[in-house]
Amino acid sequence: MADGSVHPGRPGRPLRQVPDLAILLNRVGRGDEEAFSAVYEQVAATVFGLVLRVLRDPAQAEEVAQEVLLEIWRTASRFEPGRGSPQAWVAMIAHRRAVDRVRSAEAAARRDDRAAQPPPDYDGVAEAVEAKLEHERVRRCLGSLTELQRESIVLAYYGGYSYPEVADLLGTALGTVKTRMRDGLIRLRDCLGVA
Amino acid sequence: MARNRRADLHTLAGAYALNALLPRDRRRFERHLAACPACADEVRSLRETAARLAAATAVPPSARLREQVFAEVARTRQLPPAADPADRSRLARARWAAAARRRAAAARAGGRARARGTRPLVAATAAVFLIAAVVFGSMALTTQHKLNLAQNRDHMLAAVLTAPDAKMMTAQVRGGGTATIVMSHDTGALAFSSAGLPRLPSREAYELWLMGPPGTRSAAMLPKPTHGMTSPVVASGLRTGDMVELTVEPTAGAPHPTTKPILLMAL
Repeated sequence: MADGSVHPGRPGRPLRQVPDLAILLNRVGRGDEEAFSAVYEQVAATVFGLVLRVLRDPAQAEEVAQEVLLEIWRTASRFEPGRGSPQAWVAMIAHRRAVDRVRSAEAAARRDDRAAQPPPDYDGVAEAVEAKLEHERVRRCLGSLTELQRESIVLAYYGGYSYPEVADLLGTALGTVKTRMRDGLIRLRDCLGVA
Repeated sequence: MARNRRADLHTLAGAYALNALLPRDRRRFERHLAACPACADEVRSLRETAARLAAATAVPPSARLREQVFAEVARTRQLPPAADPADRSRLARARWAAAARRRAAAARAGGRARARGTRPLVAATAAVFLIAAVVFGSMALTTQHKLNLAQNRDHMLAAVLTAPDAKMMTAQVRGGGTATIVMSHDTGALAFSSAGLPRLPSREAYELWLMGPPGTRSAAMLPKPTHGMTSPVVASGLRTGDMVELTVEPTAGAPHPTTKPILLMAL
């Protein structure tokens, strides 16, 4: 019998011997700091990486990542396993916080420069093996989308732009961007084998 | 027209999952979501997809972040669960008591209504133990921190006990004592309490495990007994085919069972 649980099996996803994140969050919700330490190990890189991707500024990203991780600690009792995976819950909190920051007045000035910059290149950053594998899979699946689907999704999720801003940046009608985001995500979902 | 508006709203699912809606659209879409289970399902799967985009861009943070986070954790108070835990646990206890009365009646009538794996007479007794454990457990808690913990626990407990598919089971523990489990596959969780377990030295405690196709997972440490009973702990992440196991471990808990199980129950 394996020690520790196996990650919920998604097709093409490597099985890892890690404690189940949902069980850990349940314990965190009851004030268990040791469980929170295990949660931190599992989610910190995803949280920091996503926030950094959206904000593109390591100092701000660290601040926001700290807020996100504390929010996980504070609100763990509100996580409902029936409404989605813990990974999706964590990613949602991280993305919301990053977007709140990027859309705030404080960041508005930096925003215009940001739009003109190419996405940062993290090839030089030491990523975990797991993240590299996931990176490859997602890159491959993003590659299977139409250009407009891909650009809409990447600008919205990794860029933190609202869909009217995405329409503006791409010079496309609002309605078109809306449907491309949905069609693209559905295609991505099917390509990644997300249940 | 109304149909077009709805279809139009539905296309917002992608932008919503990507968190790309402006506040006004988001509120409009969330109202729509509440009344459209199919949309909620789609949003759920699209959010899982977005989470994969997040995982694909992971970058390990500096050790400093960890230090800062844990320094804050030590002084950050946690939120209780969203629903009013007092109401839910009152309801749960009422239902629990009613179920115990029904089971006791069934036992007197010859136990025709017994649930699979349940011994009605023992179950009724165990129900009384469980209620008593909740009451004594709550009374023993004094500080606000502990009260919050108790409310969270009661909330989880209520969710399991009020689940339509909740099922109660009891078993004898090797070495003495009784274990009571209420489990619900709908909520993917179970409540576990015990009475009369052998007293342990201070550096040891009982640890509860879930064992099944996904592996063996630590589910909870049993609290110190009050009046011989351990107040209920809730184990979530229950999967089909799981079994429950109880072992004696160091107080801090073990990553996997290190002693022979004193209880093994198929769910």
